[in-house]
Amino acid sequence: MKRRLVLIAAALAAGYALPYRLAAYPMQVADIAIIFALLAIGLHLTLGIAGQINLAQVAFFGAAAYTTALLTTHAGFGFWPAAVLGVLAALAAGVVAGIPALRVQSHYLGIVGLGLAIAFLDLVSNSTLTGGSDGVSGIPPPPLFGLDLSSQYLYYYLEAVALILGICFAAFITRTRLGRRLRAMRDDQLAAASIGAEVPYLRIIAFALGGLYGGVAGVLYAGLIGFVAPASVSISVMFFVLAMVMIGGRHSLAGCVIGALVLTAARELLLNVAAYAQLGYGLVVVATVILAPDGLAGLPGKILPALRRGIGSGKVARYLPQPAAEPEPEPAPVAAPAAAPARAEPMAGPREPEDTTPALRAEGITRRFRGVTALDDVSLTIRAGDIYGIVGPNGSGKTTLFNLISGLHPPHAGRIVIFGHDVAGARPYYISRLGVARTFQNLRLFHRLDTRDNILAACDRTRTRWSWRYLVWPPAVLRGERELRSAAAQALGRFGLTGVSRLIPTSLPYGTQRRIEIARAMAARPRLLLLDEPAAGLNPSEIGELAGIIRDIRRGGVTVVLIEHNMGLVMSLCDRVAVFDAGRPIAEGPPRAVANDPAVVSAYLGDADIFDVPAQAGDGDARR
Amino acid sequence: MQVFVQTLVGGLGFGAIYALVAMGFSIVYRTMGLVNFAHGDIVMVGAFIAATSYMSSRLPFALAVLISIALTAAIGLVIERVLRPLEHRDLDLMLIGTIGFGIVLEALATLVWGATGRAVPIPVGASPVDIAGIFVQPYDLLIIALAGVAAAGVWFLLARTKTGAAMQAVAADYEAATAVGINAGRSNAMAFAIGAGLAALAGSLAGPVLYVNESLGATMGISGFAAAILGGFGNIPGAIVGGLAFGLLSGFSAGYFHGDSDLVTFVAFAIVVMIRPTGIFGESTVNRA
Repeated sequence: MKRRLVLIAAALAAGYALPYRLAAYPMQVADIAIIFALLAIGLHLTLGIAGQINLAQVAFFGAAAYTTALLTTHAGFGFWPAAVLGVLAALAAGVVAGIPALRVQSHYLGIVGLGLAIAFLDLVSNSTLTGGSDGVSGIPPPPLFGLDLSSQYLYYYLEAVALILGICFAAFITRTRLGRRLRAMRDDQLAAASIGAEVPYLRIIAFALGGLYGGVAGVLYAGLIGFVAPASVSISVMFFVLAMVMIGGRHSLAGCVIGALVLTAARELLLNVAAYAQLGYGLVVVATVILAPDGLAGLPGKILPALRRGIGSGKVARYLPQPAAEPEPEPAPVAAPAAAPARAEPMAGPREPEDTTPALRAEGITRRFRGVTALDDVSLTIRAGDIYGIVGPNGSGKTTLFNLISGLHPPHAGRIVIFGHDVAGARPYYISRLGVARTFQNLRLFHRLDTRDNILAACDRTRTRWSWRYLVWPPAVLRGERELRSAAAQALGRFGLTGVSRLIPTSLPYGTQRRIEIARAMAARPRLLLLDEPAAGLNPSEIGELAGIIRDIRRGGVTVVLIEHNMGLVMSLCDRVAVFDAGRPIAEGPPRAVANDPAVVSAYLGDADIFDVPAQAGDGDARR
Repeated sequence: MQVFVQTLVGGLGFGAIYALVAMGFSIVYRTMGLVNFAHGDIVMVGAFIAATSYMSSRLPFALAVLISIALTAAIGLVIERVLRPLEHRDLDLMLIGTIGFGIVLEALATLVWGATGRAVPIPVGASPVDIAGIFVQPYDLLIIALAGVAAAGVWFLLARTKTGAAMQAVAADYEAATAVGINAGRSNAMAFAIGAGLAALAGSLAGPVLYVNESLGATMGISGFAAAILGGFGNIPGAIVGGLAFGLLSGFSAGYFHGDSDLVTFVAFAIVVMIRPTGIFGESTVNRA
C-alpha cells in the first residue's frame, strides 16, 4: 500500500514536470498518448471488467469527435456545449453498440461491433456533411478562464486532469458494487444472474462506459488537433487500442494506461521504420495472448507465483481442520446474523409457521431440448420450511428442473409458482429477487474474484438502476459499500471462510469451494435455496459438516431443495423426497415410504438395500 | 433491361468473390468456433502472390492462382499451429491472436511488395460477349463458375469424405470427437488451410477487377465478413447466399446511389445485424448450467 502511494506520487510528479522537459512535437505526442489512455480505459472497462468484446470503441471516439467538430464549425456552438453533446452522442453510440450484446456474445459480439464500427467509418467517409475523406477542420480550441489552450503545453494539463479523473472514476466503479457485478458477469453470467445481477442492463452499462470514455477522448482529440477525419477513426486505430489493452493487461487499469502510453510513444519513435514497427507490435500481440494473457500487468504475478502460493496454501491448510460451520446444537447465535439482515428486506423475512403458501408449486411443466424431452409434464409442490430431496439417475431432468425454477430456461408448458408468484418465463434476476438462490452441479464461482468479492456480489440486493448514484452522489456508493462489507463479513464468519476471504476460490480445496458456493447463495438472503449435488466430491467428514450446514440453514427459515446422489445424506436430511426418471417424478413422499415404493424399487433402484448404505464420500466428481 | 442484367451479372461476380471469402470465414468458424480476423489479410496476401506470379513471373493465370492457394494455405497452417495452445480453451484470446496475425500480415505485405499496388490485367477476353442480346463480361462468368466449383468442392469434402466427417464431429462436440480418436488439432489445421486457400482464390480472382494493394485486405475482409454474417456465420450455404446477396446489394446500390453506395450497403447491413444478429440461416445457442 505504502509502495503504491509512493509510485502514484512519483507518477504525478513526473506528469507535472513533463512539459518543462519536452519540445513542441513530443509534447503533442504526449497529448495524444493521454487521449489513447482514456480510450484504452474505456475498452478496459467493457472488455476487461465486463468481459464484453468491444470492437466499436473507436466509433464512440469518432461519434464524440465528429459531433464536437460539426457543432462548433457548422452550428455555431461554443466548444464546451458542443463537447457535452459530443460525450452524450458517444454514450448513445455505446448504448446502441451494446444492444446486440443482449442477444449474442463472444465472437459474434466482436463481429457485430466491428461491423458497426465499419458502418460508422463508412458513414463519415461518404457523407458530404462530414466532409468525406477530407474530414472537418477549423474546430476552435476550448476556452478556459482565458488560458490559451491552443498551446499543447497548457492543453496537456487539461488532459492530465481528465485522465486522473478518468482513472479515479474507473477504479471507483471497478472496486465497488457496479464493477463487482460487471466482473461477476464476466466470470460467469449464469451464476451472476442467479444471484440477482440484471445481466442485460449490465451489458448495456458496460458498453455505455466504453462510450463515456471514448466520448471524453474524442472531445479532447477534437480540441487538441482542431481537425477530425475518417483516418482517425479507422479500424487500424481500433486494433491499435485493442493492442494497448491486451499488451498492458486487459484486467488491469494501470496496465491499460501504461500500455497506451508506451505503445503511442513506441509508434512515434519507430515512425521511420513504420512497417517493421507494425510487424513488431503484431507479433507482440500474438505473443501476449499465448504467453502472457494478462499482459504486462500479469507478469509480476507470473514471476512470483511460488512465493504467493506458499503463503496462501499455508493459511488454508492450517485453517481447514476447524471449519466454523458449528454444525449441530445451538442454532440461535449462528442463525441470527443471517436472519437479521433478512428482516430488513421486506420480501425475504422469515415466514410464520402457519403460512400455508408453498415455497414452490410446479404445474405440468415441460421442457424440451431439440428432440429430447428433459421434463415431461412435471407437477410438484414443495412446502415452505421443508428440506426436499430430488433423486434420480443422471439425465432424468433434475438439473433442468432447477434451471427452470431459477429462470435460466423458460418452460415450454406449465406454470411455476414461487411463494405465490407465477414465474414461468421470468428472468433469473427477477426470480432471485423473489428470494431464490442456488448452487451449481459443477461449481460456478467467479474465478477472478476473491472469496469475499464472491460473497459481496451476492450480498448486493439492489437493482441496477441504483447505479445512478455513481454519477450523481458517489458518497452514497461508499456508504452502501460499508454496509455490504459488514454483511459479507457475517456471511464469511458463519460459513467459516474468514481465513480465506482474500484468496481466489480456485486456489482452495474443493470442499471449501463448495462451501463458498453455499455461502454465496445464502448471502443473497434467499427464502428458497436450491442445492445441486452439494455433496459431490466431498469426503465423509465434509459431508457430515454439509448436513449440519443445511439443517442450520433450514432452522433460519429457509426452504431447501436438494439434488443429491448420496442416499445416506438424502435419507437422513430430507422431509420429503421425489424420485425422477426420464423427465418425470415416479414417486414422491417421506424418504422411508419412497424407498419402499415398489415402483421406485423396480423401475429405478432395482435393489432397495441401496437406501441403507450410510453416508459415503461423493462419487469422485471432483473436477479440480 | 440491359443495364439491369449487366448490373445483375456484375453484382453476382463480386458476390461470388464475397461468397468465397465468407466460406473461408465460415469453415473455420464452424470447425472451431473461431472468427479468423486475419482472414481479410490472407485474401490480400493471396491477391499479391497471384498478381506477382502472373505479372512479374509471367506464369499462366491458372498456375498463379494455384501457387497463391498453396502458399496461403501454408500461412493458414502456421497461424493455426501458433494459436493451437488456446484452442478449445480461450476463444476470446484466440480471436485477438488472429487480429495480431492480421497486423503482422499487413506489415509483411508492405515490406515485401511495397506501398504501391498492382493493376492486374484481366486474364480472359476483355471484350463483352453477347448472350441472347445481353452483353456480359466473360471474366464475371469465370468468377461465378470457379466459385461454384469451389463451393461444390467444400460441400463434397464436408459431406462425402472421412476428413470432412471428422471436421464436422470436432465442430459438434470436441470432447466426444477426441474421445473416439479424431485428431482435433489436425482437423482444425485442415479447416484453417482450406479457409486460407479459399481466401487466396478470392483474392486472386479479385485482383483483375480491383486494384491490388494492402488495403484490399480490409475491403475484402469486411465485405466477406458482412456476407458471412448476413448468411449466418458458420453456415456454408448461408455464406454463399450471403455473399451473392451482398454482391447484388453493393452492385445495385452503386447503380442507384453512386458515391453513397458503400454507405447504403453498410447501413442496410447494420440494420440487419441489429434486428437479426445471427443472420438469415443462423441459429441461437442454449446456455447450460
